[in-house]
Amino acid sequence: MKFNINKYKYVILALVFSLVSCDDYLDINDNPNNPTDAPLAGLMVNSTYESSQNTFRMGNITTNYVQYLASPNEASASDVMEPVSYSGTWSALYNVMTDINDLIIKAQNEEANHYEGIGQILMAYNLALAVDAWGDVPYSEGFNFVTVTPSYDDDAQLYSEILSLLDSGIANLSMETTASVGGDDFIYNGNPDQWMKFAYMLKARYLNHYSETGNYDPTAVLSALENGFESNDDDAQMEYFVESINPWADVAIDNANLFLGGWISEQFIESMDGTIYGVEDPRLPLMVGATDEGEYIGTVNGAGRGDAPEQGARSVLEEGDFYTTRQGPVLIATYAEQKFIEAEAAFGLDKARSYQAYLDGIRAHMTKIGVESSEVEAYINNPEVSMGVDNFTIDDIFKEKWVALFLNPEAWVDARRYDYNYEDFDLPENLNPDLNGMFLRRLAYPDSEVSRNGNNVPDVTLLDPVFWDE
Amino acid sequence: MKLKTSVMAFLAIFHFATLLAQENSVSGLITGSENGEPLSGVNVLIKGTNRGTITDFDGNYQINVQSGETIVFSSLGFETQEIPYTGQSTLDVTLVADLESLDEVVVTSFGIEQEKKSLGYAVQEIDSEEITKTKQQNLVSTLQGQAAGVQVTNSGGAPGMSARIIIRGVNSLDPSADNQPLFVIDGVPIDNSTIESNGTPRGLSNRAADINPNDIESLNILKGAAATALYGVRAANGAVIITTKKGKAGKVRINFNTSIGFDEINQFPDFQETYGQGFSGEYNPDSFWPNWGPSMEEINQIDPDVRFHDIWDDAMRTGVQIDNNISISGGNEKATFYGSLGRLDQEGIIPFSDWGRTSAKLSGEVKFNEKFKFSGNINYTVTGGNRVPHDRFMERLVYWAPNHDVEDYINPDGTMKTYGNTNPIYDARFSTFEDEVNRTVGNLRFVYSPFEWLDLTYLIGTDYYSDNRTEITPGPLGIDGENPLSSTGFITETRINSRDINSNFFITLKNAWTEKLNTTLRIGNDVFERDYERVDATGVDFVIPEFYDLSYATQISNSQDKRKRRLVGLYGDLMISYDEMLFLNITARNDWTSTLPIGNNSFFYPSVNLGYVFTESFEQPDWFTFGKLRGSWAEVGKDTNPYLIGQTYASPGVYPLGGQVGFTRFSQFGDLELKPEETTAIEFGTDLRFFENRLGLDITWYKSNSKDQIIPVPVSESAGFSTFVTNAGEIENRGWEFILRGTPVKSENFRWDVSFNAAYNQNEVKSIREGIEEIVVGSQFGYGGSSVTIKLLEGEPYGNIFGTSYSRLGADPDNIYLSEGLPIIIGEDGFPDRNGSQLVLGNTTPKWIGGLKNDFTYKGFDFSFLIDFRSGVEQYNQYDNFYSAFGIAEYTLNRNETIVFDGVLADGSPNTQPVWLGQGEGPDGRNYGAGFYRNTYRTISENFVQDASFIKLRNITLGYNFQDNVLNVLPFESARLSVAANNIILYTPWDGFDPESFSAGAGGNATGLTGLGYPGVRSVFFTLNLGL
Repeated sequence: MKFNINKYKYVILALVFSLVSCDDYLDINDNPNNPTDAPLAGLMVNSTYESSQNTFRMGNITTNYVQYLASPNEASASDVMEPVSYSGTWSALYNVMTDINDLIIKAQNEEANHYEGIGQILMAYNLALAVDAWGDVPYSEGFNFVTVTPSYDDDAQLYSEILSLLDSGIANLSMETTASVGGDDFIYNGNPDQWMKFAYMLKARYLNHYSETGNYDPTAVLSALENGFESNDDDAQMEYFVESINPWADVAIDNANLFLGGWISEQFIESMDGTIYGVEDPRLPLMVGATDEGEYIGTVNGAGRGDAPEQGARSVLEEGDFYTTRQGPVLIATYAEQKFIEAEAAFGLDKARSYQAYLDGIRAHMTKIGVESSEVEAYINNPEVSMGVDNFTIDDIFKEKWVALFLNPEAWVDARRYDYNYEDFDLPENLNPDLNGMFLRRLAYPDSEVSRNGNNVPDVTLLDPVFWDE
Repeated sequence: MKLKTSVMAFLAIFHFATLLAQENSVSGLITGSENGEPLSGVNVLIKGTNRGTITDFDGNYQINVQSGETIVFSSLGFETQEIPYTGQSTLDVTLVADLESLDEVVVTSFGIEQEKKSLGYAVQEIDSEEITKTKQQNLVSTLQGQAAGVQVTNSGGAPGMSARIIIRGVNSLDPSADNQPLFVIDGVPIDNSTIESNGTPRGLSNRAADINPNDIESLNILKGAAATALYGVRAANGAVIITTKKGKAGKVRINFNTSIGFDEINQFPDFQETYGQGFSGEYNPDSFWPNWGPSMEEINQIDPDVRFHDIWDDAMRTGVQIDNNISISGGNEKATFYGSLGRLDQEGIIPFSDWGRTSAKLSGEVKFNEKFKFSGNINYTVTGGNRVPHDRFMERLVYWAPNHDVEDYINPDGTMKTYGNTNPIYDARFSTFEDEVNRTVGNLRFVYSPFEWLDLTYLIGTDYYSDNRTEITPGPLGIDGENPLSSTGFITETRINSRDINSNFFITLKNAWTEKLNTTLRIGNDVFERDYERVDATGVDFVIPEFYDLSYATQISNSQDKRKRRLVGLYGDLMISYDEMLFLNITARNDWTSTLPIGNNSFFYPSVNLGYVFTESFEQPDWFTFGKLRGSWAEVGKDTNPYLIGQTYASPGVYPLGGQVGFTRFSQFGDLELKPEETTAIEFGTDLRFFENRLGLDITWYKSNSKDQIIPVPVSESAGFSTFVTNAGEIENRGWEFILRGTPVKSENFRWDVSFNAAYNQNEVKSIREGIEEIVVGSQFGYGGSSVTIKLLEGEPYGNIFGTSYSRLGADPDNIYLSEGLPIIIGEDGFPDRNGSQLVLGNTTPKWIGGLKNDFTYKGFDFSFLIDFRSGVEQYNQYDNFYSAFGIAEYTLNRNETIVFDGVLADGSPNTQPVWLGQGEGPDGRNYGAGFYRNTYRTISENFVQDASFIKLRNITLGYNFQDNVLNVLPFESARLSVAANNIILYTPWDGFDPESFSAGAGGNATGLTGLGYPGVRSVFFTLNLGL
């Protein structure tokens, strides 16, 4: 068998050629579906939208703890304060913080100072949602894939970071910008003044969280408020869309379709219908639904619906109320809340200011959700509400703030700072026995973190408080 | 022209020369023993010389021979005959068919035919008769029970529903990896992916279902890495080599077959039929609760007209399938052809589910001359149907109260008729999902053999399909008081286009160095490209009710996905055989892929295998016919999917909102240094035959380790990504395969063949990347926190199901397995205590699988049956979870009894507290709330993870071939009538529908989660075959 090289030189050449051109032929792995870079506006859209969604998500976790809602199922894990793994919310928070991180870096490179400033405020807000729920969380090693197992930062230090992010955000928004923010901002439509007010309002909120610690400085809270919201028009909120409806409206619709959820706690009903406080609150019918009989009947936390049928016998979130309108807003931070913060901070310094802020807070919330002015005045003038400066206590602030923060996760921060000290506020039935008859003080770290980053996850129980909750 | 003339002249001279040398000439006709037909292409050789010829297409031969010489007649599939020549001028020979021919030829890589005895690894071939006999319409399902170590699972009983095939266990830790083998038609790979529906499961087809099983000549299963080293990365899980039917030289043959089949559910769960609609034992004809009301006796006292309908039977119908095929084939020595047309129509047992397949195939081969051969093959199919939302259908049937007629589902105005809950039949009828696949699979093969020792082969093939899907859920019809299926309604149009191109060029060099030493060297280059595109458009909220068009929807959203993958391979394959006794095969291959980073995208892998026919080297007793030992070692590299490397951004599906498109950093990051996976496999086996092949035993042991697995490792989201695609982890499969076959009876009129195969596989996750505790393969919902999860843990086998259980006294808290033997702890309330922590309750991968096949022939009759089994497998029975939660299961009949649970209190003392199992206030005055089944039973996953072993009569067939006496008066060459039945469950401990069904479809790996899958069916078929 002879091998004649001449005869096959073309074959060999062809083979060699095919190898040489191989690299070009194979260089087709650039993803045509996903870009490698994202526009600032696109990141802003997602960052504002997801911040609103995260407000809902965290609110949805905490509504049972603050007894706005109660589970229709007996001994439901969240209702009886068992450790529940909220991997989804954790993931949503870190996803949006990652996007905000990229937004900030990109804005810095492009000197788009307003984008950077809004990014810093949104970062502060989302980080605070995480810290207030879990305490120590990853941050300094986060977002930029420096490690697959980021370490956890101390919660008190993270609060310093949150406050400094807010200061930087205010500074950046005061500067010129190479690119103006517009309709890509779902919260304020690019209005830098309102963003600055929001930043000051958040500063006041987080400074006020120190109330139980030695570092509490009510004067600083009040001075931050100076530059905060001026009316309900400044409220940080996002209105929803035809394509993507308000998530609380979704809960109400699901419940109507027998995917049960959004059942109102007996505590909330009895706080509003006069049972506990002796005054009927005209906001109740604007906030929650009545039974088929037209009554307001709550569900006891932890007890479930018992013999009650799926529909018609208990108060639930119903579509179309203020908090449950398809295209209605999710409230992130409101003028009403700010007034109650003012009332709390001023309480020990200037009680008259405090009392006035308390009344203003009630009025702001009632106006917000559309209570008729005559009913607003009738309620406010009721002696149970307008008890006068002398009889006015911190309990009154917490009670009314609790109503005004309906479905908002900030309510759980208050509840813990206030040690769940609301009137007639009982432990849920079937309480998780590991809590030894106490309310929980934090969320358990989610399973996704335990399984993916187990060595860094702090060893805590549900009774270990976040740093500001001593 | 000139060449042709000179060739003719040369041949003429040669022929003349042989005439001159003639001393004696013998001629004759060679026929086959089975039907007496002339055999073409039979080798006729004078023993000890190289003088020989072959029979022409009429079966005639002529050869020169001297007295005393021996003539050897041999042909594939027939027993070789040696006849000493005694001077006669005519010698007609009848060759006896040999079903276990030793010189069995099997088709391995690239359509190359190889003698089975020369192989150093296990292969198993299934011929056309064995395929069509199963009456399975999905090519993958035809393999059930037929081959050792091959696990085929039908995902359900819907027409056209996918089937999953796994060879020698799952090889990948990646939960989304395709662990199925590569499908190759006539040397060219094709696509067998399953693209499931978004949203509720619809049971779509695996793409191999597009192939008409009637067009298949044989299927070969290449199991080990050695067998597939030549196909490279895409065959890392093995390969199914399909050879399609070709024309044969001789007269034109026309074959026609028609078949009608009927399907019905092969097994129902045990239902209670005593308690009706309501809750807490109170009757309410509008209640959401179908079966927690009082007994029918009590209900009839309230309303004597109420009946208890058998809704599980009423809602279903008898499935019907009609299959017609016609083929025409023939040719002469120079050219052959085969053409076929087929049409299959199937209606499933769930109303409005159907599927059909129209297939047309044409293949031909032309021998231009002795040196140049060309063949081509084109297959065009149209498949598709309406895929009902079966999982939702069954779920709605769970909720449907049997006190209402489920078949009375529609009002005259077209709205749904219901007492409250959604009627499943109404939903099945109007929530449509129609797919139509148009597919062309074609290939061309050129073979040029300039010299006896050299072949140049070029093979090019394409597999192109478009998959058009339209899903519609109607919105309200605008009629007062209606119960719409959706408050808005939507339409989704999906267009998928996929094109594969395979090009393969190889040179074959053959040489016989001495009489005993032969070598074959093959060197080649192949190139693969897949171009895939998918576009989805969804319109929500129709402007005009019942007018379903994207243009008339209020909101539109779109998405697009494009993918391209290329592979280039260079390979060599050296075969050395010595004295028909030792066979050594060495292969080497280098692949370059587009999906890995440049620099890491080239990878080399070798294999070596050795076969030793020891019966050739020393004398054996007469009964020991043949014995071979074989061993192989092989490596296979594996690349990954396109576009995994690096970081990207994506726009989540929720956008655009208010005209704005949001961006988020894509949650997956691909290692910039990603490298190919590597599987190393070793295999040893023996093939033993006794008593003239009447008894055969084949045993194989194998072990394969896949390391550097490319997996999407879940990482802490705080790092900036939730998955990191990197090389991490190793998985091992090892096991045994046994094949025992025999022919216990073999006489002129009666023959009995039996074959048994069994395989044992053991799987272990050897390692996962450091810091990663577990990989979740899938999970499924269960009421009251009884959801189960399939997770992979280091040191554990693939497919462990985790869930909640009854608390056990003295259980080791560190043991991840359920301590079944220990006593159950009864709580203070008198009910069993629930252990909420996740324990291993079972494993979804069968330990043993196998099949038993029997064929009997008696004159014109044939009778056969195929049994297959699997054991050592547990599954999550989601149906049972629902049945307990809704009081449907038969065991909930004890709901009004007072019992003492068997178990111990926390202090170890026996439980003595009697408790009532019902709802509300019990006879003891205590309030039992929602009752035992809802409060306790349904929340314990342990109750629903059940033994899913089975023994099934996969197929039983009785056929009759009309004999000459009848055929002589009919215008047919052959005629056959047969009746067959399929998929009959002979034994299973499983309480429920067919344990084989699962809702995820063949594309997923979470097979142990049944979901509310399309119930399995048994079928009866009547078939008529006619040959002209």
